[in-house]
Amino acid sequence: MAPGKRVVALKNVTGGDPHLQGHFPGNPLMPGVLLVEAMAQTAGLLLSEGSSALLAQIRDARFRRPVVPGDQVRIEAERLGSLGGLHRFAVKASVDDAPVAEAEIVLAETS
Amino acid sequence: MLATRLKLAKAVDGISDDAPLFAPTGLGLDSIDALELVLGLEKEFGVVVEDRAVAIRVLTSIRTIADFIQSQGKG
Repeated sequence: MAPGKRVVALKNVTGGDPHLQGHFPGNPLMPGVLLVEAMAQTAGLLLSEGSSALLAQIRDARFRRPVVPGDQVRIEAERLGSLGGLHRFAVKASVDDAPVAEAEIVLAETS
Repeated sequence: MLATRLKLAKAVDGISDDAPLFAPTGLGLDSIDALELVLGLEKEFGVVVEDRAVAIRVLTSIRTIADFIQSQGKG
């Protein structure tokens, strides 16, 4: 982790995750929207401690392959720049070095 | 750059150099667009907008942006 600039987070996907029960029945697949949420939360780790932020923009999100139980998702967020409480990040998610998702995310600091 | 980075619906030719970028009567851009512009200026013209105060001054219109780039010797 480079302070304020770059961070890496890991998420283990297991069959026990409740949202996978119905998404989809007999064919568990991590919902793309949760992947984006995990990416946004990872980016949020780069803000100063104790500050809170809201998701302000998701841009150019791509989902390259499905994430399934047993996968360990590696999420890497890099801060591209900031202006007046808005922060822009490039975020990439991968499983076993293969890209699964990417997006540019803007967070708005609320405090 | 303005049109491609902000995915503007409006044709570039239709934007006058003095049109206010953020006023609803102008292009109606918002603070997220401002951040995008600041990053774009740095990437494509090598000029750095230090903070919010500078951004407010520079991002008034196409003309003020052009003047800023020139004042940084990057025109």
